[in-house]
Formats: sequence, C-alpha cells, structure tokens
Amino acid sequence: MGFVPDEGKSLAPPGIVNRNSVWLSGMGWVSAMLQNAINHRPPLKSGVHRQVLLATIGWFIGYHITKYENYTYARLDRDMNEYIKLHPERFEPKEKKTFAEIVEPFHPVR
Amino acid sequence: MTFSHLLTRAVHINRAGSRSAFTSSKPDTANPNWLRVGLAFGTSAFLWGLLFKQHSSDVHEYKVRNGLQ
Repeated sequence: MGFVPDEGKSLAPPGIVNRNSVWLSGMGWVSAMLQNAINHRPPLKSGVHRQVLLATIGWFIGYHITKYENYTYARLDRDMNEYIKLHPERFEPKEKKTFAEIVEPFHPVR
Repeated sequence: MTFSHLLTRAVHINRAGSRSAFTSSKPDTANPNWLRVGLAFGTSAFLWGLLFKQHSSDVHEYKVRNGLQ
C-alpha cells in the first residue's frame, strides 16, 4: 500500500464509508471478539477498548487502501485509453450484420 | 490418564484459553488496566480525528484542482 502521488490527488477521494474500510474494521472487530472468545471472556461485553481500537485501525487502513485502489484503476484506465488513441488501427469497429443477412430463409413445414 | 481427563483437570486450573508469550502471571480480569484502556480509547479518538482531517483535506484538494472551489 503506497501513498498516492501528486497526479492522483485530482481524483475524487473516497467517502469516509467505503468498502475496504467497512470490511477491515469488521475484521478488526471480529479478531477482538475472537481474542475474547479464546480467553473465555464474554465476546461482546469485554474488552470494548480493544474492539474499538482494532475496528478503528481497520477503518483507517481501509480508507487509505481505497484511495490507492482508486488511483491505481484510474491510472490503468488512462494508460489503456492512451494506447487505444495511439493505435487506432488495432481497434477498428467491426462490420455489423443484422440477423436478416446471416440467417437462411425460413420455409415453414406445417 | 486419558487425554480428556487431563483436559478436564486443566479447565479448573487455568481459565484462559491462551497465554502471553511475555509474562507468566495470570491476567487479572477483576481490575482493568486503566492506563491501557485509556491509551486504546485515546489512540482510537486520535485515529478518527486524523481520518476526518485527511478526508476533508482530500476533498478540498480535489475541489481546488478541478476548479470547483
């Protein structure tokens, strides 16, 4: 997980609530509850500070991962579109035929 | 002694399902370590603040670069 270089800062930043944040904070919370369960403590009621801390760390890391993911996909899209623009001969639009031209004439046998 | 017999005795002696690799004393669940609790909540609050600050500066940067503000 790197940090986004300057050109990526003109992308729209992810919202505070985003897929990776929710997932990673859920993972943190579940691991805190798992630690409670392994030590025979009540899973939800004990170690709330641990649950909150791990969920927060997950949410924080998820936000930065989402930002880097958006930048990576934007960069790949831009490079792909530039390539297509530079090599139009490789991307000729195919000739389209209607079904009427391809299909054999229909002689019903009733 | 059978395996399960050994295990049933162990449950009475050690209520923990795991142990620390660093300390040998039993964890005291009756008296919470308030320093650690405070540090955990404090770090969480700090990280949330950092996240909101980062997000708002990202949004501002986006608006400035795209000529919206």
